[in-house]
Amino acid sequence: MSCPRPEDLYLYLEGELGPYKARAIEEHIESCAACREALAERRLLHEAFTSLPPFEVPPDFARSVMDSLPEPEVAQTGWLAPLLAATASLIIGLLGFNLLSGASFSDVLVATNRLFGSVAATVLPLAAKAFKIAAVLMEVASDAAEMLFSAIGAFSRSLGPQGVALALGLGCAVFLLVLFGARRLLSLGEKS
Amino acid sequence: MTDDSHLVARALKGDRKAFEMIVRKYEQPLTSYLGRMTGEREAALDFAQEVFLKVYCSLKSYRPAYKFSTWLFTIASNHLIDHWRKKKLPTVSLDQPIDDEDGALLPQVADPGPSVVRKFELAEIRQKIERALESVPEALRELFVLRHVNEFSYEEIADIKSLPVGTVKNRVFQAKEMLRKRMEAP
Repeated sequence: MSCPRPEDLYLYLEGELGPYKARAIEEHIESCAACREALAERRLLHEAFTSLPPFEVPPDFARSVMDSLPEPEVAQTGWLAPLLAATASLIIGLLGFNLLSGASFSDVLVATNRLFGSVAATVLPLAAKAFKIAAVLMEVASDAAEMLFSAIGAFSRSLGPQGVALALGLGCAVFLLVLFGARRLLSLGEKS
Repeated sequence: MTDDSHLVARALKGDRKAFEMIVRKYEQPLTSYLGRMTGEREAALDFAQEVFLKVYCSLKSYRPAYKFSTWLFTIASNHLIDHWRKKKLPTVSLDQPIDDEDGALLPQVADPGPSVVRKFELAEIRQKIERALESVPEALRELFVLRHVNEFSYEEIADIKSLPVGTVKNRVFQAKEMLRKRMEAP
């Protein structure tokens, strides 16, 4: 075999040559010092080529990429699909009613409008009343909380610092007793 | 279905976490490729961000029959070409064999020459390669980087660049010999 092409030396090092060509190169370099040296040099280069260090990427790079992405289309159509489905079912329902009842389409529309009107007339005042009741309850709860805090403040002032510490200690002890008592009751329940 | 195809399918359903996993998996190979092509770390990171944005917006066109990494690097390569076209950087025709300053680059027989590379330790050789790589024409450098930094097979590179496998092998070899000669130069 004549001296191999430099291209084949690289391909040999990469394992890209077929077994026949690879064997021919191996046999040739045993008897050719120049090619042996050329192969050794390219082996060193090949080692360096295949071990070039990767570029460092900042740890927050992926996050910054994600922040730059637009909102997915799926999310945008999330409200559109149910709206289209509701509209389509309403139209189909109206047409079906029209066909079954034999009433004219305009009559169906007028009846539907009345139905929606009567539902709104019933529901809206009820919702308004419920809102008012909730507002009053909130006001009462806020007043009660204020009174409770002021009572606790007055009580602690009358007890003094030592009295407050004693009350807190007693409170903790009662809390622990209740807690462990409850746990004991629960565990007894499990055993039985 | 491969892991990547599975992640793409999830991302297409609006799962942003799945796309983030794709970004984390490919951020380093992509930045290593773009860094070698641009020569600047900051520019490489900007390009990588733009490429991921393009990938995200074109996910619907991805076909699981193809390898995801090949598709990703095709987008990255086209992005670079667009960038160079806009900047109107000088390009080198690859129809003719590329000549070095010293004359023909491609010797037809093994030319052992003075064994300069042996004088350096591997780390020093790597540093020299990095420096010499900047002077290699983009079209050759890109194929070299895809082969030896990103470890794509010659067939995968042929897919990415829409070139025959033989042409890819030849150009990667040209890049390597050009690097070798530039490293030998004092």
